[in-house]
Amino acid sequence: MARSLFLAIAALGLLAALGTVLARNLVRAALHLVAFFFCVACLFVMLEAEFLAAVQVLIYIGAVAILLMFGIMLTRNAATAEADLSGGWRVPGVIAGLCVFAALAFGINNAVSPSGSGAWSAIVARPALEPAEGVAWKAERSRAIDDMPRVVGEQFMTRYALAFELAGLLLTAALVGAVALAREEPAPGDSEPATAVEAEAAVGTTP
Amino acid sequence: MDVGTALIAQSHRVDLSPTTAIVWALWLLVGFAGIFPGIVAYMVWLERKVAARFQDRIGPNRVGPFGLLQPIADAIKLIVKESIVPRPADGLVHLLAPVIVLASAFLTLAVVPFAVGLVPIDPPSGLVYLIAVSSLSPLGIFLAGWSSRNKYSLIGAMRAVAQLVSYEIPQVLATIPVVLWAGSLSLVSIFDHQAKFGWNAFTPPGLLAFAIFLIAGVAEVNRTPFDIPEAESEIIAGYHTEYSGMRFGLFFLAEYLGVFAISCVATVLFLGGGMPLPFSSFPVNLIDGSVGSYILADAILLAVFLAKVLLFIFAMFWVRATLPRMRIDRLMNFAWKYLVPLCVLNILFAAAWFEVVVRPGRIEAGRWAVGMIGVGLLTAAGVQLVFWANRKLAAAAPIDADWPAVGAARGG
Amino acid sequence: MVAHNYVFVGLLLLVAVGFALAPLALVALVAPRKRSPTKADVFECGVRTHGETWVRFRIQYYIYAIMFVVFDVETVFLYPWAAAYGSLGTFALVEMTVFLALLFAGLAYAWAKGVLRWA
Repeated sequence: MARSLFLAIAALGLLAALGTVLARNLVRAALHLVAFFFCVACLFVMLEAEFLAAVQVLIYIGAVAILLMFGIMLTRNAATAEADLSGGWRVPGVIAGLCVFAALAFGINNAVSPSGSGAWSAIVARPALEPAEGVAWKAERSRAIDDMPRVVGEQFMTRYALAFELAGLLLTAALVGAVALAREEPAPGDSEPATAVEAEAAVGTTP
Repeated sequence: MDVGTALIAQSHRVDLSPTTAIVWALWLLVGFAGIFPGIVAYMVWLERKVAARFQDRIGPNRVGPFGLLQPIADAIKLIVKESIVPRPADGLVHLLAPVIVLASAFLTLAVVPFAVGLVPIDPPSGLVYLIAVSSLSPLGIFLAGWSSRNKYSLIGAMRAVAQLVSYEIPQVLATIPVVLWAGSLSLVSIFDHQAKFGWNAFTPPGLLAFAIFLIAGVAEVNRTPFDIPEAESEIIAGYHTEYSGMRFGLFFLAEYLGVFAISCVATVLFLGGGMPLPFSSFPVNLIDGSVGSYILADAILLAVFLAKVLLFIFAMFWVRATLPRMRIDRLMNFAWKYLVPLCVLNILFAAAWFEVVVRPGRIEAGRWAVGMIGVGLLTAAGVQLVFWANRKLAAAAPIDADWPAVGAARGG
Repeated sequence: MVAHNYVFVGLLLLVAVGFALAPLALVALVAPRKRSPTKADVFECGVRTHGETWVRFRIQYYIYAIMFVVFDVETVFLYPWAAAYGSLGTFALVEMTVFLALLFAGLAYAWAKGVLRWA
């Protein structure tokens, strides 16, 4: 049951990913990406990481998708914004994609699961949730699933305290960078229209 | 009290047993497909009646007694109307957009505890789930405006999304104090906490958070004075200009469902759910394990809950009948320059309140009084600080800094 | 299991989509359908539409979206912190104050540079 559900979600995710790459219209491509994010959230739920699933929906569908849409509306020709699949960037694009794929495959393949075996090499049976006598980590795992937000918070504040502050710094850097890049330097006589008519015109053309 | 609170705190785990299946089927078919849309339909009727009274009219009174059959007539009208999709529109996305908005409104209601045991689901991260699914609606609104290929739709959608995302931040940050005190993201635990420590709105940081949550909530459902996205006098009807008949009806339904959902969430987070008294776990402590006591307590809780929700809904109608629309620059200013700094400060005040009052594990009169005065003064000082800083900065800027076109028109 | 809660969410999603599509199906059966070129035109106050619709928007919207993403990620860090606060000491408060101060510095920068001004 769980396996067929997983396969269905994974297949949908792959289809959505293909749609993202192949869609001609940028907004539609972004919409396929949203569908893909949703599939990832479903997979998180299946892994009993429901906090992560909610965060996935909140950040990726609720925020990043909006950012993408606004980004598309910023492009010069949003109307005719059709992905150009035959341009000069095709070959470098394919090479970059293959490199990313290779890096991911290498990383996942070399990751070691808690049982000590490689990620691909064995399917580890999921241990029972009920805490057994004398098995400390089972109780820990049970708590981590039942009260995930709290456990994540405790880890942030103790083990990953430095990483947590670095994440804050990174967020601030992102904000400052975006502001610095996007701010239009008001040139004298350029930003402020001389007359009310021009002001009206400016307001009219830049919604 | 311990009996009651122990009974509220049910397990987050659910078994897929036949009992669960029956309960879920009841929730889905009776609750979500029946009662909630019914409530929404009569909210529309109520709004028309209330708005009419405010404007010295009678309101709908032709269809049935007091116009009570008006919602049914409206539904029939919407169904038999032609559904027009503009020629250049992106048909599939045009259809998808209202579905996303409506689904978002439905999904938010899944974690609301209406009374003890009367909650569809109670996942451990309920509040994040709630925020996550309610953040889907900006996407649907953008798609509605974009797919219509209408300039007014697109402008309306862009404005709507900018407003929604700006007010989502204070709305989310305002819920942090509640989570901090309850020590959990589950809405049932938050209700449980208020049975022990009194309603969250009756604490200084809680009151501030409550006010911010309400303001941001009204903005999140696009109602006056935050109805820039559908400002009829400027951009026709904003993102749903090109929606007619039942497709428009879906947006309409989603808006009122959103009003209902935000009222429910505010009630649960800040006004102690269905508890009639602020500092007593009154109907909850009636529960002694017997079925009769459950039914009695839940009946009281549900009635009070709905009364509180109705109060919020009425307040929103009242605001709509009273206030004009805000200007967009002031609207965005208010979110980022007032509400967000206030929320950030409020988190620290909430931590102070936690240390003073909540940390001992039960409410003590002495510590409570110290907290009310100390943290109360702190919170008031924080509000003063943010408003003072804003006034100072606004006074330093040239008078037309926030509206160059006006300045140019006057100067030129 | 905790994850079983989300079976309900999935079912609710189906109900919501069904609830949206069922009346639309009814409309397709019942409602009249008389197409005409004028009716299928986009409605822009009765004036024939002029120029391209999907125009380029100002950078301002994008800035607000960026700030939204940054603060949204911040709340994701704040929620687990708030949930765990009761079992943590003063160190957690100090740490979060630093985190909030960093974020606030970003907001203050945007404010000082005037990008929070909607013009």
